[in-house]
Amino acid sequence: MDYAAILKAVAALGGLGILFGLVLSFADKKFAVPVDERFTLVREAVAGANCGACGYAGCDAYAQAVVKGEADISLCTPGGQATLDALAAIMQKESAVAEVQVARVLCQGETGVVKPRYDYKGPKTCHMAVSLSGGPNLCNWSCVGLGDCVRVCRFDAMRIENGIVVIDENKCTACGMCVLECPRSVLRLLPKAARVTVRCRNEARPKEAREACSKACIACKLCEKACAYDAIHVNNNVARIDPAKCTLCGECVKVCPMKCIEQLP
Amino acid sequence: MRLSFKGGIHPLRERHEGKNASKGQPIRAYIPQSVCIPMDMHIGAPSAPVVAKGDRVKMGQVIATAVGGIGIPVHASVSGEVVAVSQKQLLGKNPSTCVEIRNDLQDEWTELTPLGEAETAPAERIIQAVRDAGICGMGGACFPTHAKMSLPEGKSVDTVILNGAECETFLTSDHRLMLEEPGRVVDGLRLIMRAMKVSRGFIAVEENKMDAVKAMQEAARGREGVSVVVLKTKYPQGGEKQLIEAVTGRQVPSGGLPMDAHVNVFNVGTAAAVADAVILGRPLVSRVTTVTGCVKEPANLLLRIGTPVQEAIDAAGGCSEEPGKVFLGGSMTGIAMPDTSMPMTKANNGIVVMGQKEAVVAPPTPCIRCARCLAACPIRLNPQRLKELCDQQDYAKAKKEHVMDCIVCGACSYVCPAKLELSPAFKEAKDKITARRI
Repeated sequence: MDYAAILKAVAALGGLGILFGLVLSFADKKFAVPVDERFTLVREAVAGANCGACGYAGCDAYAQAVVKGEADISLCTPGGQATLDALAAIMQKESAVAEVQVARVLCQGETGVVKPRYDYKGPKTCHMAVSLSGGPNLCNWSCVGLGDCVRVCRFDAMRIENGIVVIDENKCTACGMCVLECPRSVLRLLPKAARVTVRCRNEARPKEAREACSKACIACKLCEKACAYDAIHVNNNVARIDPAKCTLCGECVKVCPMKCIEQLP
Repeated sequence: MRLSFKGGIHPLRERHEGKNASKGQPIRAYIPQSVCIPMDMHIGAPSAPVVAKGDRVKMGQVIATAVGGIGIPVHASVSGEVVAVSQKQLLGKNPSTCVEIRNDLQDEWTELTPLGEAETAPAERIIQAVRDAGICGMGGACFPTHAKMSLPEGKSVDTVILNGAECETFLTSDHRLMLEEPGRVVDGLRLIMRAMKVSRGFIAVEENKMDAVKAMQEAARGREGVSVVVLKTKYPQGGEKQLIEAVTGRQVPSGGLPMDAHVNVFNVGTAAAVADAVILGRPLVSRVTTVTGCVKEPANLLLRIGTPVQEAIDAAGGCSEEPGKVFLGGSMTGIAMPDTSMPMTKANNGIVVMGQKEAVVAPPTPCIRCARCLAACPIRLNPQRLKELCDQQDYAKAKKEHVMDCIVCGACSYVCPAKLELSPAFKEAKDKITARRI
């Protein structure tokens, strides 16, 4: 048996391997890109959902912006207080108390509550439905219930029930993607502590609002009179609560004749 | 060989595009008891009403003035009393301001000021006359015609094409107009050519309307620079970009306008309205609309702007069976109406009533990658790939793959054996990309 051929092959390949190894190790030193060590730390501290809540293309982009000092450290809402504290420690900035927000549905227009305008048979997206004749519900401010928001939610926090979207507060990270998606602006980011909300945005005249929906705000101002803290006001035919002033006393909820103000436990 | 473009489909070939029912019916006028005229019929800022409840108006009187640079005024389409100026939910996303007028059946015209004959009217005043007459694109897009005729600095046009293709299924309104009043159409073309200082004008007609071709050739004989061309019967032959490709061989660049290919396209109905505006001084108060499908007497009606759609259907003998869907426009690009009490507007070239059986939409099934949509797309996009991207909400990538060039003709949806809702998804993508500036 001729061992020479085998040895030659081993030597040739082994030699090439050593040569490439040397070139690569040289290149690794010579062309090394300096990475801010904080980048790795920041990248690990953020939520990692690539949700886009911060406004950057993803968690990597946000981490880079934070390290460069271009982005505020409080933008990662899904990470919550833990991320904020971690980023503050890494970047040696002061941590603040993050206000915990959640997305709320400002509509109670379930099937049977809001009256239908027509029977919609088109493509099953809210965007297409509202662009045809003001949408399938008689109220131009109502939830259409075709789930454009559900499709963009990365945290499995939304579902459609009875023709309206329902949010799981425990899963919602307030990334705000659903708020951007909703063609009707039915969804809003509100402080989680604001337990009393007016769940209606119908700015139509009271008569029309009442015709369209049995739980519409009719701008009767009873809530305004009942509130002892100047926290609820009727503007544009619809009541709004200022979360900063609201004490969660629940007086407005009791007087509302249309049951459009809701107090969460 | 007939002129054409690449791609496209031939819908309802075995039923002669659905046009047989109404193409033999002469245009007849229908006078409504009352009209409801929306202020936002055209693209651009809605017009501002200048009449109030109780006012008496004459036919052709300005009831709303133009707002903004491309806005146009709106005119009373009947004489009578204004009974309401109110907000109404029509087909748009938001309610529209409407002026309702009760017809006194006198048809008393307001004072009209004609500009002159087709070859002698002062060219520099034609565009203003077109604006004053409230004319917008009557093929369906409703873009104000005066704005299309006034070119921005640095753009030039050497060809005007009148679109008489009428590739949309069921509709025969342009066909009847060309057949019955070819003179008006040619006059309108000459006026547009003179106003824009263009020496070459084409009237493009599909070959399923050879009688209209003959009538147009007859009328165009001896007119300077005007010629009639015959197109292959194919959808969307009447799409602006497809028409330009078929007639001149030029392509409108991606994201560009017809003027970037040095061509402007007008509908034949628009040309007839321009002729009326200049030669007779009449503003746009009526238009030819085909009422067909499941109606007892399919017809081509000369309808006043603002006639309730239900009245137009009744004027065509009423529905012959329980309607499933009523389309404003043809069955390819028309909009299904939720309520037939809404008025017809300047852009409504047809009302198609579909029976309940026909109106059923099959549920979509997964894509089988047959690539029929690729062959059908007149823009040569890849609809199945774009649909994937739209489903993933990856609009940035969809834009890279040119979803913005989609003309939402519906050819891909029509041929899809899986019944996927392709073109609605692209419309949604286009809307969102524009709204979010992706």
